[in-house]
Amino acid sequence: MNNPITDSYPPIMGTWKRLYILVLLVHALVLLLFIFLTFFY
Amino acid sequence: MHVVDWVVLSATILFIVVYGMWKTRKRDSVEHYLMGDRDLKWWTIGLSIMATQASGITFLSTPGQAYESGMGFVQFYIGLPIAMIVLSVFFLPIFYNLKVYTAYEYLEQRFDVKTRTFTAILFLIQRGLAVGLTIYAPSIILAKILDWNLAATNLAMGGIVIAYTVIGGSKAVSETQQQQMTIILIGLFVALMVVIWKLPQGVSFGDSVKVASQLGKMNIIDFTFDPKARYNFWSGILGGTFLFISYFGTDQSQVQRYLSGKTLTESRLGLLFNGILKVPMQFTVLFVGMMVFVFYQFNSSPLHFNSDNIRRLMDSPYAEQYSTLQSRHQEVFEQKRAGIYDMIAAERGQNAEQLQEAKTKVEGLLAEDNSLRKEAAQLVKANTPEAETKDTDYVFITFVMNHLPVGIIGLLIAVIFAAAMSSIAAEINALATTSVMDIYRRLIVSDAADTHYFRASVYFTIFWGLVALGFAGLASLFDNLIQAINIIGSLFYGVILGIFLVAFFFRKVRSNAVFYAAVLSELCIIGLFVADKWGYLQLGFLWLNLIGPALVIGLSMLLQQIFSHGGEEEIKKAQEL
Repeated sequence: MNNPITDSYPPIMGTWKRLYILVLLVHALVLLLFIFLTFFY
Repeated sequence: MHVVDWVVLSATILFIVVYGMWKTRKRDSVEHYLMGDRDLKWWTIGLSIMATQASGITFLSTPGQAYESGMGFVQFYIGLPIAMIVLSVFFLPIFYNLKVYTAYEYLEQRFDVKTRTFTAILFLIQRGLAVGLTIYAPSIILAKILDWNLAATNLAMGGIVIAYTVIGGSKAVSETQQQQMTIILIGLFVALMVVIWKLPQGVSFGDSVKVASQLGKMNIIDFTFDPKARYNFWSGILGGTFLFISYFGTDQSQVQRYLSGKTLTESRLGLLFNGILKVPMQFTVLFVGMMVFVFYQFNSSPLHFNSDNIRRLMDSPYAEQYSTLQSRHQEVFEQKRAGIYDMIAAERGQNAEQLQEAKTKVEGLLAEDNSLRKEAAQLVKANTPEAETKDTDYVFITFVMNHLPVGIIGLLIAVIFAAAMSSIAAEINALATTSVMDIYRRLIVSDAADTHYFRASVYFTIFWGLVALGFAGLASLFDNLIQAINIIGSLFYGVILGIFLVAFFFRKVRSNAVFYAAVLSELCIIGLFVADKWGYLQLGFLWLNLIGPALVIGLSMLLQQIFSHGGEEEIKKAQEL
């Protein structure tokens, strides 16, 4: 039976997957910059 | 304030408001009024989300926080990008498929009407109480520093917002937020440039950051695991992630922003836009505050930043004592400045021994200066017992008023107004939507024509606007009210999130189990908070955002086990659904 409540988790794939990874990578770089400024600057 | 600043301030605010009202002048249905035609592009959604979160107090308090205790507050936001991805993957598709007006509407389809109503009421209490403070908190600071009338400042800030939110509805909120956020980003950039430009000759930007770093202001990340500490990496990445999933996924003032998107893709991109930009933006706000700290190492600062307190003190018998402290503060400043020049010279010459010596001297002088500031605060308290002695909220605005060029002052006051107005508008709009959709149309009048609900939406917007103005007015009379409202607000987020997490991820849990689990969890959270207040345990408040959902999930699964005995039919029905 089709139900929008239970059938609404689309698999994370393709362009979206790459975009989410890109956001996480940018965030990781920002955190690395913070770590550098805190401990090595 | 100079006439040029008045012109810049008024022109900026008027342009934003008139443009927003003109662009959204024809609203005649509930869908148009509450959801703004659902046609927003991703950049408008992203800016709108950021503008909703950034309130007037963000630009008054945050730089002061960096001035006082460094950049560590940015850790509060490090869970935010993760939260944006979680929402984009799990929450948005469901809200879009169901074409809901409010996040709580989904809860009725997943559970039942009592769970929807309970959650909507928690939101109305929390947001309804807090919206007055969104007006009052920046108003009181601006009124004191600029010597404006507080009631008039409240009325100017709140009145303008109510006018365009009532006339243009949700679309007016988003359109104005786009302009407001643009002004905020420009103002922030200008403030940063000016504070760097104000560094004395011979001191480079790099020197100033090094000095701040040596004096412990660049302590951005703290990996120490300490549940008592308010901000560290772990509370940010765990508590912060949950807080932001909760805030952006279940607080109607945010949900309404991205549900107005043209498509699911536009809304998702809007959230990710916020995920990328928010942390750097907060970093910049804090960085400006840190540079103000550096600025005041080369330029004399007031001993106490709340000039209203000082005015009263100077008309009192404590004036002489204050003047003595002020003279000592000036001597300390001059010695400290010399010490800082020594630090810069040692740093440039890479002379570690000389650097350590100068640093120890400056740290000693900073400690002495801090104790002078505390003594000044005690004098303020002795003279006016009800006065607020914490002056960090006044640091940035004092710097702006005393040291920025004419015209830029007007722009930065406009930034504070724009930030305050953008949050107030989104909150009033969300309160009206929840009142009409989750309470009025669902429980009171359910079969009227569209025009009836359109009119109801307009009246509810006016109602919540007046409530906000009323609370803003009352806040000035009762100091404790502010504290109480802040506390009440922060106690509901975790439980609301818990209900939504059960809805999304725990398919076997049904309505009664989640409803009673939520009620019990809310009582536990209040109990924990009271225990913390009375000193039985010590718990940073961010952790409540983690404990709340954990309690709701755990208890609802337990209760579901108990309720499901003899209720196989209900489970079967639920699984079919």
